[in-house]
Amino acid sequence: MNTTSQLDLHPDAESLNAFAEQALAAPEREQVLVHLARCSRCRQVIFLAHQAAADAETSAQVAAARPTTQPGMWFLNWRFAWVPAAALAAALALVVTFHPRHTAPAPEMAKLTPLSESTAPVPQEQAATGAAHNPAPALVKKSIARDVELGAHRGPAENLALEAAPSAASTAESGEIAGSSESSHAVTTLSVESASQPVAAAHYQPEPAAAAVQQDQQQFSGTLSAGSAAPPVSLKSMQAEAYTAHARRQAASAGPRRPQQSAPAASFDMNTQQQLPELTDSLKARKANPPKLPSGLAVVSTAIAQNLVLVIDQTGALFLSGDSGQHWEQVARQWTGRAIEVRAKTGLSSNAAPAGGFELKNEAGSIWASVDGKTWTAQ
Amino acid sequence: MPSQPVEASATAGISAVPEPIHNALVEELWRECSASAYGLERERFREILERVAAAQNFGLAPGAAATRRQQRDFFRGLRLADLVLARACANGHPGAWEHFLATYRQPLTRAAIAITGSETLGRELADQLYAELYGLTTRDGVRRSPLDSYRGRGSLMGWLRTTLAQRHVDHHRRTRRELPLDDPADGYEPPAAIPEPETPSADLLLLGRAIEEALRQLAAEERFLLAAYYLDGRTLLEIAPLLHVHEATVSRKLRRVTSGLRKRIARNLQGLGLSKPAAQEALDADPRDLNLNLKKILQISSLDAFQEKATL
Repeated sequence: MNTTSQLDLHPDAESLNAFAEQALAAPEREQVLVHLARCSRCRQVIFLAHQAAADAETSAQVAAARPTTQPGMWFLNWRFAWVPAAALAAALALVVTFHPRHTAPAPEMAKLTPLSESTAPVPQEQAATGAAHNPAPALVKKSIARDVELGAHRGPAENLALEAAPSAASTAESGEIAGSSESSHAVTTLSVESASQPVAAAHYQPEPAAAAVQQDQQQFSGTLSAGSAAPPVSLKSMQAEAYTAHARRQAASAGPRRPQQSAPAASFDMNTQQQLPELTDSLKARKANPPKLPSGLAVVSTAIAQNLVLVIDQTGALFLSGDSGQHWEQVARQWTGRAIEVRAKTGLSSNAAPAGGFELKNEAGSIWASVDGKTWTAQ
Repeated sequence: MPSQPVEASATAGISAVPEPIHNALVEELWRECSASAYGLERERFREILERVAAAQNFGLAPGAAATRRQQRDFFRGLRLADLVLARACANGHPGAWEHFLATYRQPLTRAAIAITGSETLGRELADQLYAELYGLTTRDGVRRSPLDSYRGRGSLMGWLRTTLAQRHVDHHRRTRRELPLDDPADGYEPPAAIPEPETPSADLLLLGRAIEEALRQLAAEERFLLAAYYLDGRTLLEIAPLLHVHEATVSRKLRRVTSGLRKRIARNLQGLGLSKPAAQEALDADPRDLNLNLKKILQISSLDAFQEKATL
């Protein structure tokens, strides 16, 4: 018997697979096993096939062991991300909560910027200085462009106001970017304070934001009433009304108009406006040359009223000047604690005509009042 | 490389008259397999069942008549769903091929990659088998598909894997035979001169004869164990699943086979005229002194019924 020829005959795939899967009857299984014992080719075939089956089974087990996504499993999958997510949400809430407080000084910025340019005529040198103090030139330019576009739809008074004080309007609108209601406050404040002497004092006063907003609201309503009841008779009055109209437009665009109060109608009197050029000159001079105090320290707070200038230095000492800061006289201490703020009394108390006098506040918040800046009485 | 079903060799020479299958059973199996979905009518389905049953005589001894219960048990032991699918694919039924591809395409490719150990070769092997399965090979003008040879014993996936392994092994052996001769200029070194074999001693000759006789007396499973473990270098873990035993059982079986083989060789040596001490001394001889081809001995030992009947 030629064994070589016999080795060329092998069980077929059906029999080998049935052997591996234990699907053969005992006699057939014995036959296949006998053949496998002597045939390396069929042993190799059956081992390879079984190895492939084992690999497939392992892959299936791995796939089955792989966690499947079930409804609600996302919660468990994200359980480790809850802590940073909660921290982020808390930080966001804090930012949202305190953001208005940080942006509250925007009205102050709106007040400060136009003061250097709103009082026409402005020398070129001073204009350059004002440009240097402009906090956001890009926004101002953009706002000016917007105003030019909107000019066709504005009344003549509004256009006049914008031409006279473009920086004021643009700055106010730049404030609108931070908050539309605040921008309207800023413009309203400008319209009033630019026509009154105590406004100059506010230029140097670090007022609390809340008080400024409240004051602006009062002046806003008063200005609206003035614009309708008392027609302006001078250029400044026209400018003031233009600013008021601009503020009205801003308020209208910002949302529902706030209820108008029945405030006193006469916000501007001619006496106050006649003092404006003089005050403006003083302010310009002060801005160009910061006051040099006898103590040599930096100024913390300044108030100007009735040709009197009061300043507080870093140590809380109060100095008085009657010649626009040429000469300084230290005021005797008549208050307790450390003085931190001095302000003109009129601009803070009401919208009426300035009654003169100053107010001084110490660290504890106590207020002292003085008419001439030398004699102080507790309030 | 030719291959044939085991049952064909086992029943060769025996007049296998197919037992008629009860109509109720055919109807029951036909409905269970949803053979109609693949276009297999009842009569065609009956032919397939009869052919499978005739090849194995319902799993009974040749000549035995199968009762209705035995017929049912036999067909229940088959993968009839896979069988129907394979025959429908061999018949070229589009729905069957659609189901076949959706079910077996990816596993078959993975199996081919695992068998060849190479993704490129594996994909090539799988594609080649697909072409064969689809019946691109024609014989006498008739499309022939290897799926026709599937008879439902064992899973269709296992059959596909085994077919892939057969193709791969045959291809490997064929290409290995066709390796070109090494170029002498390419660093080829002629084999060292084979030393003249020394004339073995009489004891070694007796030992060789005793070993051959002992190996021939081993059972088929014992020879399979020895061949797989010592000749092929398979591990216990690889051998155990094929015998459906634990690998520890394989280890015990191997130990028992080797110890029994040693005793049998010693007994054969005594039967050849050596004394017991002389037989033990012969067993301690250096195996390298023996001129024995164990692989050849295992191959020719105890010619199995499958081969003998296949050559009839």
